[in-house]
Amino acid sequence: MNPDDFEKRLEHQRLRPIPGAWRGEILDAARRARDHQPSTFNPQPASWWRELLWPCPQAWAGLAAVWVLILALNSVTREPARSARSPNAPRAPEVLMALREHRRLLAELIGSPTAAEQPKPFEPRPRSERSQRIVAA
Amino acid sequence: MSPSDFLARVYDDHAHALFGFLLNFTRDETDTKDLLQELFVKLAQQPGLLEAVRDERAYLIRLAHNLAIDLMRRRATRGKNYEQLAAESASIFAPAVEPDEQAFHQALVAALGELPPEQRAVVHLKLWEGLTFEAIAEALDLLPNTVASRYRYGLDKMRDRLRLLYEEIK
Repeated sequence: MNPDDFEKRLEHQRLRPIPGAWRGEILDAARRARDHQPSTFNPQPASWWRELLWPCPQAWAGLAAVWVLILALNSVTREPARSARSPNAPRAPEVLMALREHRRLLAELIGSPTAAEQPKPFEPRPRSERSQRIVAA
Repeated sequence: MSPSDFLARVYDDHAHALFGFLLNFTRDETDTKDLLQELFVKLAQQPGLLEAVRDERAYLIRLAHNLAIDLMRRRATRGKNYEQLAAESASIFAPAVEPDEQAFHQALVAALGELPPEQRAVVHLKLWEGLTFEAIAEALDLLPNTVASRYRYGLDKMRDRLRLLYEEIK
């Protein structure tokens, strides 16, 4: 059998025409559907959201509520932290001075003079006088 | 052009081809009518669908194919067997006067019914819509090589199935 002849034979088979009564029925159904559309304003996004949320609306609502709570707590706790931290920065030298004073007082109370006194500046002392005594002797 | 005129124009231009394609794909006249109606309802509700389309016929075949696939999936979940349906389907061909031709039609319908739906779709669009492999690939969202191989497999199966009868009536 020649493949080309077979294909040609198949191609020449006439297809059944579409039943004539279908035209009116199908076009009427299409027009009815168009006329009964709820809104002409792009219904796609709404249906998309509905499909997304439909399987478990309670779960989505719960998740949204948890997020709102988290955001609310976050905003509430962030404000005091900022207000408490900001006045600290200019007072840092005063705090250092207070700490030094406190340390000095503590040292005086304990009785350790070396700790209380400021380190003495270096004063060069004369070298050992032993060699001079030997020379004198 | 009013929306009603637009729908009527699309119907007159393409309904016959869509009918043949869907009937061959679903093998069921009621399903074919439902799918055609669904397609035209879609066009009525979204009249802009065809505005930027280069090849209306190919686009409508693609829509029809997608709707048919959805229907088959729904049916599969309900247990309706499309292989059985294919065997008992109505003819997609016009009645023949000659008894030999009529016998060939019946054998051809049975042979088509034995093909998987996706092979049948390709064979139909190539033989009876005269589309190129590229156009079929675009319509069915396939690679042209896939289309060509499906056509070749489908045609070979039909040739084997119809060999004796074809030799007799040739």
